[in-house]
Amino acid sequence: MRITKHPVLDVRDGKKVPFTFDGETLMGYEGEMVSSALFANGIRSFSIHTVGDAPQGIFCANGQCAQCTVIINGQPVKSCITPLREGMKVKTLVHYPTLPEDDEWRPSFLPRELSCQVLIIGGGPSGLTASLELADLGFSVILVDDKDRLGGKLVLQTHKFFGSMADCYAGTRGTDIGHILEEEVRKHEKITILANSTVAGIYSDGKAGIYEDQARYTHVSFEALIVATGARERSLIFPGNDLPGVYGAGAFQTLVNRDLVKSSERVLIVGCGNVGLIGAYHALQAGISVVGIIDIAPQISGYKVHADKIKRMGVPIYLNHTIVGVTGDGKVERATIAQVDEHWNPLVETAKTFAVDTVLIAVGLTSADEFYTAGQEANFPVLKTGDAQEIAEASSAMMGGRIVGRQMAQILGREIDIPAEWLEKAEVLKSLPGESFVRNHTLPKEDGWEPILHCYQEIPCNPCTTVCTYDSIQLKGKLGTIMDLPHFEGRCIGCAKCVLICPGLAITLVRKTTEPGWAEVILPHEFDHGYKAGNELVLRDCDGNSIGTGTVTATRFNKKHRTHLITMTVPEALAKDVVGILVQDASVVAPLEEAELHHLPDNAIVCRCERISLGEIREFVRENQVKDLNQLKLPRVAMGACGGKTCLDLLPRVLVQLGVPRQEIRPSSLRPLAVEIPMKAIANQGGEIS
Amino acid sequence: MKTYDVVIIGAGSVGLPLAHSLGARGLSVVVVEKLPSVGQGQNKAAIGGIRATHSDRAKICIGNASLDFIRRLKPEFGQDVDYLEGGYLFPAYDVNIAANLKNLLPTQQSFGLNINWIEPEEVRERVPGIKAEGLLGGTFSPNDGHLSSLKLGGAFYRLARQAGVEFLFETEVVGFEVEKGKVRAVLTNRGEINTGQVVNAAGGFGREVGLMVGTDLPVYPDSHEAGITEPVQPFFQPMIVDIQPDEHSDNYYFYQNVAGGVVFCITPRPKRMGTDRRSTSEFLPMVIPRMLNLYPRLRNLKVRRVWRGLYPMTPDGKPIVGFDRDVEGFFHAIGMCGQGLMLGPGLAEMITLAIAEGKEEPEVFEDLSPYRDFSGEELLK
Repeated sequence: MRITKHPVLDVRDGKKVPFTFDGETLMGYEGEMVSSALFANGIRSFSIHTVGDAPQGIFCANGQCAQCTVIINGQPVKSCITPLREGMKVKTLVHYPTLPEDDEWRPSFLPRELSCQVLIIGGGPSGLTASLELADLGFSVILVDDKDRLGGKLVLQTHKFFGSMADCYAGTRGTDIGHILEEEVRKHEKITILANSTVAGIYSDGKAGIYEDQARYTHVSFEALIVATGARERSLIFPGNDLPGVYGAGAFQTLVNRDLVKSSERVLIVGCGNVGLIGAYHALQAGISVVGIIDIAPQISGYKVHADKIKRMGVPIYLNHTIVGVTGDGKVERATIAQVDEHWNPLVETAKTFAVDTVLIAVGLTSADEFYTAGQEANFPVLKTGDAQEIAEASSAMMGGRIVGRQMAQILGREIDIPAEWLEKAEVLKSLPGESFVRNHTLPKEDGWEPILHCYQEIPCNPCTTVCTYDSIQLKGKLGTIMDLPHFEGRCIGCAKCVLICPGLAITLVRKTTEPGWAEVILPHEFDHGYKAGNELVLRDCDGNSIGTGTVTATRFNKKHRTHLITMTVPEALAKDVVGILVQDASVVAPLEEAELHHLPDNAIVCRCERISLGEIREFVRENQVKDLNQLKLPRVAMGACGGKTCLDLLPRVLVQLGVPRQEIRPSSLRPLAVEIPMKAIANQGGEIS
Repeated sequence: MKTYDVVIIGAGSVGLPLAHSLGARGLSVVVVEKLPSVGQGQNKAAIGGIRATHSDRAKICIGNASLDFIRRLKPEFGQDVDYLEGGYLFPAYDVNIAANLKNLLPTQQSFGLNINWIEPEEVRERVPGIKAEGLLGGTFSPNDGHLSSLKLGGAFYRLARQAGVEFLFETEVVGFEVEKGKVRAVLTNRGEINTGQVVNAAGGFGREVGLMVGTDLPVYPDSHEAGITEPVQPFFQPMIVDIQPDEHSDNYYFYQNVAGGVVFCITPRPKRMGTDRRSTSEFLPMVIPRMLNLYPRLRNLKVRRVWRGLYPMTPDGKPIVGFDRDVEGFFHAIGMCGQGLMLGPGLAEMITLAIAEGKEEPEVFEDLSPYRDFSGEELLK
């Protein structure tokens, strides 16, 4: 199951090669990740856990956990970072692997020793701009990233970015921004890139140990360190959270937007932040149904324009709702949600069960900043930037990277200013959504086009003001920053540049027609469609209500923005309210007739690597008066392959629920390695690299 | 304020079993620990080897007592600490090393150790895939073994609490009140604790605690780094100790634990003195090539985690155990030289007898006296 048509991304074309999975011959693209090749062949379960014989599905799709481990040609490897080669023999890993009897003696070699002035970990938006800033100032930089392609999560973003065009490529899709920055970094002579390479440890003697090219071990000595390692997705504790098919929105983006695998048919999304909202948009673009987005909070935490867009497309948003449980035979088949009371306890009578094959967790991010802590402990100059510093949009990360680059230059003795406007912009770009306003739109009095700006909430975004040829769109408001709302006044020639660039798809053009009582609207549309003149479509207002129908009069496709413009004739009374058309049919989002109500909360898995349940942890905490999270290592919590990357974030709440005062909880100590490395790679048995 | 029969300083490899043993005799005991929970110092850094195979009379005696107790943990106390009696194997690829190991055998056997020379075939049977070329054989002591230090610490914590022992965490000793040459109270950052008997089980910080009553004992920590791999199906059982030094290191040792991971550790040369426990870049390139040289099959194992722990060393490599001469009611059990985990359980009963009944096992207490001549050197570290 692959995505064969995508409105924004180029559909994959490459060499298909045969491989086997548990003896059966399958086909996949050479060089794609084995996990994606398996997904494309409908395989969702990669291993059978030692504890409870539980099937394990994909979880991070990012090389961080080890849930996608399979046996390839006799050896256990993470399938999400292993490129597919012709003839690979892939097998389900059952319990612990058996070490191959590979007894031939081979020579070992010491690590290659590299050095630089500044080591930058992470080639996402902030790491890339920090690298460029320092390299432009003449510092030697080594940039390490665990992926082949630089750009970090930018390359997974098919939506147009918010922010301002001058500072952070607003209006351009993330995936394109990633390419632009990668090009710049790759041609810079002061930057050495170690791609497809993972930092395993920052050591107290001023060196980083790097699993270079996922094949050998290399040391980098450095004077200073910038940590731009981004963030991790938070997880949730609910029964069934370990079934294959429950995973993070980030993993979903990787499968769908990077590897163009149609990973699911129907998904439920948990979390109404921008990540969850965009996840729904990515799903719909990939032809995957979204039964709804739920959030335990009473309001949407993401941008209103994102949420509005999703609602218009036909995805319901359930606020004050939690996920009660997920069930299925070895995979996700059903998910149950319920409304919560003021203490966040689910109200059984409100439970709804949906038939879904995937539950995406998008309940926020936590900074992945342990290398920063390691750097501080080792006492060398270290700064963090981007999500590793503070969770915010990629637009602010790009600005933040430049600032941190300059700050590091200052620390290293360079006399250079950081422009005050950079700092102001960085602050604005990372702003959470501000106030929302009611706006009264009016239709143009004269003949001719005018934009209607369905933009009601202060967010850091202004590309519409930049693209207007006649400067007819201006920000007006009390803040005096790009947070203010745009207003139209003046001339409009109907060029639709503002419609095409708006990341929120929140601008329409309207004009009166010669026929009284009717108006024409131009709507942006980011889905492939077969609409033709004469088609009647359901019109949606800003909040996602169906308000009537309109008739298509023309469609065109703008290649640069990869956005369709649909011109429609609609009743004049609806013209100022219509913002989009329904994409997903209402029948898709209906729950099952009866809700499932037999979920046992204690069965939820907290430590995924070692499969330790909430019930087991609660019992241990009670018996041993646990306040120090290190004590939980005894029942092996956080002792697995990932080293607590997911569960350590969940544990404090488990303790608090048992009555341990939050201020008395002590964190778990973290040690290298950040990723597991085969001994043969540490000993460089693949050969010496000079 | 409550007065305790005994205050133990340090909830680690020595303090925990001792707390259980004293508590089980009905004494009121409190353990004072500066870290937030049990075993967070060197206890959890211990790689888990438990042996009686030493070259010294006192340590062999304590080691045997430890092993006896550990064997009873599951059947008598219901505590599973992942103990596996896989033996210790010292392979030899060098004639001098082979000779040294063989020369030690009579002494070791005379103290009742079950240890023998085994031929290359048996070495390869016990460690399938170990390098055959140049293998001369090795010594093997089948009654030694390994366990989970975390689980052992947790087991003694549980047993001690069942025996009524109290614990004070995040409590740091700052001094003692001594009246007429006798301990009266322990002073901590959280107030004072009345007692007539203190046990200094502060491990790597035992010298500092001794100095608080004016006793300067020669305990100077150095440090070793260690690591563990991912778990795989069991493929060998013994602890393998390669004592042949190379350019940058002395011995290194590794075993596969019950959970399936291979745990390894090396002795760097020169020694790294001090209490720094941060990992260094030198460790993996130092130890992994040596392990793969000896045992190529390990190459496909993935290293999961590394850490560094202290070896609170004494000049002669033997622990310091005994009453303070100048301060009545002050007992030292420090300087375990990196073997607190394997000596702690055995010492617990002996120290309990000394404190509760004044009975001191002469073979142990003479050899390990705080006031002994420290100029000897240990043969088998």
